[in-house]
Amino acid sequence: MAGYILKRLISAIPVLFGISIIVFVIMAMIPGDPATAILGSYATPENVEKLNRDLGLDKPMVLRYFIWLGNMLQGDFGRSFSLNREVLDEVLERFGATLVLAGTAFVLCSILGVAAGVVSAARQYGFADKAITFAVLLGISIPSFFLGMMMILIFAVQLRWFPVSGMWPIYGARDLSALISHLTLPALALAVVATGVIARLSRSAMLEVLRQDFIRTARAKGVHERSVIWRHALRAAMVSIIPVLGVQAGFVLSGAVYIEMVFQWPGVGRMLVDAILKRDILLVQGGVVFVAACYVMFNIAVDVAQSMLDPRIKT
Amino acid sequence: MGFLSLLARNRLALGGLIVMILVVLLALVTPLLPLADPDVTNTAERFQKPFSDGALLGTDHLGRDLLSRLLWGTRLSLAVGFAAAIMAATIGAAIGIIAGFYGGRTDNIIMRGVDMLMAFPYILLALAIVAALGPGLMNALIAVAAVNIPFFARNIRGITVGIAHKEFIDAARLSGMNNAKIILSEVLPNVIPVIVIAMSTTVGWMILETAGLSFLGLGSQPPQADLGSMLGEARSALITNPHTSIVPGAMILIIVMAINLLGDGVRDALDPRLKSGALSRPMPATMVRRDGPIPTADDDALLALRGLKTQFHVKDRVYKAVGGVDLSVRPGECLGVIGESGSGKSVTALSIMGLVASPPGVITGGAVHYKGEDLIGAPYEKLRSLRGDRIAYIFQDPLATLHPLYTIGDQLIEAVRAHHGMGRAAARAHAIDLLKSVRIPNADKRVDSYPHEMSGGMRQRVGIAMALANEPEVIIADEPTTALDVTVQAQILSLLDDLRRDRGLAIIFITHDFGVVAQLCDRVAVMYAGKIVEEGPTNVILNAPAHPYTSRLMACVPELGQGRRELAAIPGLPPVVDNLPEGCAFADRCQKVREGCRAGTIALAAHGASQRVRCIAPETALPEVSA
Amino acid sequence: MTTALKLTNLSKVFEVGKRMFGPAKALVRAVQPTSLSVEHGETLGIVGESGCGKSTFARMLVGLLPASTGEIEIDGEPLDNADPALFGKRIQYVFQDPISSLNPRKTIRQIMEGPLKHLHGMAHAARTERIREIFAAVNLREEFLDRYPHEFSGGQAQRIGIARALAADARILILDEPVSALDVSVQAQVLNLLADLKEKLGLTYLFISHDLAVVEAVSDRVAVLYFGSVVEIGPADQVFAHPKHPYTKLLAESAPVVGRALTAPEGRETELPDPLNPPNGCAFKARCAFASKECGLEPPRLEQQSDGVWTACYHPLSGSK
Repeated sequence: MAGYILKRLISAIPVLFGISIIVFVIMAMIPGDPATAILGSYATPENVEKLNRDLGLDKPMVLRYFIWLGNMLQGDFGRSFSLNREVLDEVLERFGATLVLAGTAFVLCSILGVAAGVVSAARQYGFADKAITFAVLLGISIPSFFLGMMMILIFAVQLRWFPVSGMWPIYGARDLSALISHLTLPALALAVVATGVIARLSRSAMLEVLRQDFIRTARAKGVHERSVIWRHALRAAMVSIIPVLGVQAGFVLSGAVYIEMVFQWPGVGRMLVDAILKRDILLVQGGVVFVAACYVMFNIAVDVAQSMLDPRIKT
Repeated sequence: MGFLSLLARNRLALGGLIVMILVVLLALVTPLLPLADPDVTNTAERFQKPFSDGALLGTDHLGRDLLSRLLWGTRLSLAVGFAAAIMAATIGAAIGIIAGFYGGRTDNIIMRGVDMLMAFPYILLALAIVAALGPGLMNALIAVAAVNIPFFARNIRGITVGIAHKEFIDAARLSGMNNAKIILSEVLPNVIPVIVIAMSTTVGWMILETAGLSFLGLGSQPPQADLGSMLGEARSALITNPHTSIVPGAMILIIVMAINLLGDGVRDALDPRLKSGALSRPMPATMVRRDGPIPTADDDALLALRGLKTQFHVKDRVYKAVGGVDLSVRPGECLGVIGESGSGKSVTALSIMGLVASPPGVITGGAVHYKGEDLIGAPYEKLRSLRGDRIAYIFQDPLATLHPLYTIGDQLIEAVRAHHGMGRAAARAHAIDLLKSVRIPNADKRVDSYPHEMSGGMRQRVGIAMALANEPEVIIADEPTTALDVTVQAQILSLLDDLRRDRGLAIIFITHDFGVVAQLCDRVAVMYAGKIVEEGPTNVILNAPAHPYTSRLMACVPELGQGRRELAAIPGLPPVVDNLPEGCAFADRCQKVREGCRAGTIALAAHGASQRVRCIAPETALPEVSA
Repeated sequence: MTTALKLTNLSKVFEVGKRMFGPAKALVRAVQPTSLSVEHGETLGIVGESGCGKSTFARMLVGLLPASTGEIEIDGEPLDNADPALFGKRIQYVFQDPISSLNPRKTIRQIMEGPLKHLHGMAHAARTERIREIFAAVNLREEFLDRYPHEFSGGQAQRIGIARALAADARILILDEPVSALDVSVQAQVLNLLADLKEKLGLTYLFISHDLAVVEAVSDRVAVLYFGSVVEIGPADQVFAHPKHPYTKLLAESAPVVGRALTAPEGRETELPDPLNPPNGCAFKARCAFASKECGLEPPRLEQQSDGVWTACYHPLSGSK
């Protein structure tokens, strides 16, 4: 098992490399030069040239890439001009907030989605199945940002159960209960879409598995139906559900961008959108590479979980 | 034709279709409608409530008419969403087909690239692309299409790999077609339904995504607005004037929901597996809907089937797979049931313990008496307690019938513990004993193996061990050696024969092979079109078959040691069981067919001392009845 | 008789665990170098159990798989294995699974036109005429031409598969388990049709099957394959009646036969050798009652016994019993 994890980690190196190249190339396509953007329209040509030299922008692209990569590997992601702060510090701080939000939503949607899918499949065409199917359809059809806005309107403005926005109260203690009350609405809004997708795929994976011959064998052995569903069928269905969870984690992370905007959550998504609108390239580059790298690591964890579940995968 | 009627049958999809037609029509005629200019601001009239004068849906923060903006925005959102979907589907499918068809290094390199793109949470890539190209609706469209290409490529590649390995591709190659022709005329027509399904289920998603980028201010730029940017602009007035948010938000919801309903309908209509209702979940026990009298136990057989009828109800068709079967087996006896595919032999075997998949299977008549007690319609818990304990099964394909993710030890232990409260350690020791009893070498090591680590023959031994786990009285073996090689089959058959003699097991052995029946079974029943046409002691039937079907079937099986020869084939095909003829089902293929054959049901009548036959003109004359 | 098909040292090695760059992790020899020849008008039966390499062998003969070594000659002319279309005119293939060998989205007419159009460049009218002739030859009704494959039973679909092979106008047919997906009553129909066609059209068959009785019933000569090598080859009436190789004997005794008592011909519970880790010498030695030290050194070569039977065994069984 340890060997397998090591193997997967090594195989992630070219992927991370590729990610950095893709990000770098996309960013290099930006028309105009960053120096002008930084200095604004009052810049003199001499100023621009000097800044370009300072930023290393006069060097050939390949060399620039390796300098950027080398710096990044040493923890130097550059400095954000719009925030006047180290990119890495900003990204780390913001990513923590995003992790709290997206992580909670991911746990919620995994548990709810799989459970709903299993129940739905086990009661195919029954009332529970129809109700879940409809709820799922609603979930995958509603834009998460609209859902978030409606939640604010109903639960924060009308009912006053939860705060309208932010991660912490402006005044008062930053304790767990404060966090939970701030987190509830955005996490739920974020989880809804992914729950729908996971429930749908879990349902069809379960239906697929329940038709397999080994389910008939389990029944022929006289195994209790509860155990047929939750032990035999779900375990086999997890083989196709787990990769979906991996993909959905990416979707949750993506959806977090909208939810952070709606709920003013101080996460990395909002930071990126602001940075793009301000053309703060280094911040965008650093943020994207960092989050993508974390996502790659997460997917390795998913693969490892998969290999522990399925003995047919060679470890 | 078939597609549209299938789609129309799905009421939800039809609803989605109607809503979509309305929305698209509205979007198309928007320029012709007498609407206010969507971009003209009038701050004096800002935040008008809906249903106010001159603004049916009210106005926004700049006093622009919301209805007009909504319709123009819808037009824009639909166009962008569809364009992105078509772009992503076309490029993604092309990449997927090429990778999947050529395989090898081409595939490897392309898919590494795709994996690389999928290593991003998709919005990061979209944000990076928008950052590079600059905010704008066209750029948002490109970004959304680009990030979805890998999903299409991967999906279509998977399908293409499956098709590229089909034999008809080889056949096309041997017909002289080159790769380009094969891709266009053999692969593409088989992939297009999948592309259509993938597209119809993602258009809604694309609309959401482009709206999302606009919502963030990275898509359509003011004053032009799509639904997303309307929502984005309205956000600051969410609390004071919620209608400016609700109007565009609800529109997105309606559109995407309608598209998703329609997409599901398209998928169901195009996916052949769903067409036949095959994606139904089989219930724990076969459905029972018996009409007519229920036969009572009339003899002392261990297990007796009386007038058993099992049907498959698929849509409006009824397949009479088993049309009234009488069989019985005594302790220590091996009964062979022989027939061709579709004769109902396996369905008969599965009906005994209610294991016929249901839906679509229904037991519609008859009884199964185990020690005089009727199992058909017995409560589930009763059935479950007998399954695997008193009456056990061995199935055909030992790889598919064992759970792939549990060790064979776990599966054996479970078989025991489902019925007997045995500790895990004791159960494990018992499992090892079972493996030894089916002559698996190194049983104490093999007990921790997974099914995929064993050969077909060894897996079938595990299947047998599992059936023996609770020392049952009856074993029902459904073609247990059909998937095996002859040398392995010989080993398994001799194992089964030894076991039944040592343990006094009753066996019902389903097969299509006369050689196997001859070697293993005491008695044999021959099935044709869901009915037993002949039954009796094996040596009598094999030496003097009374039913023309039996004798002709035996004649057309080549047997080793008879050399090269012409085979006596039976002309025609077996009847389809949803449209059985009146009278004898074999009449159309029978050389001896005569007037009475098609007139009414023919009974399974005694023929001599030990045989029974369903024929009015048996092959062998009745032996003289001594007075 | 003249030689229709001659193979010299044909073999196939598969690479297992291919990487993007660099060599594969392991090599599996699916077919050992094999030399065979088939005469015009002859049916050569090839029997073997799963994993013996018989399908790999067959696919090489029609160019669907490139051979690793060796040559294929048809009517004395060598064929390079670059283009399946060149093979197509001379040698055709009938597949095991009749349904999956027909494109589900094409009508039978479109399927039948493939070889006529692409191999022979026939015009529309000529194609229609030719299809009519072929359909008459395989006893299929012309109204079937405008239907789709899923509307046919296995037996009918296999007739269509045979018809397509005939449309290429090849004289040699590779029949890869052509009846094993069919029920016995339909199997006999197809076997008889194949025999008819062979006589009428002067075809040469390579008939591959796992069913000894079927092979014996249709073949002139039979080759027995074990673990990628021919272990015995000879006249059909000799090979199973008087097996010389212990494996052939085991096969013949394992086949269930009416009127023979049930005995396990092998005392031990044995398995096939591991292809990733092939044994030295004779591949059958672990299952063989006569194995000696010699058998573990060098794989035995095919040597002629009496009466035209060739066997690859150091201890061939004495003939008559």
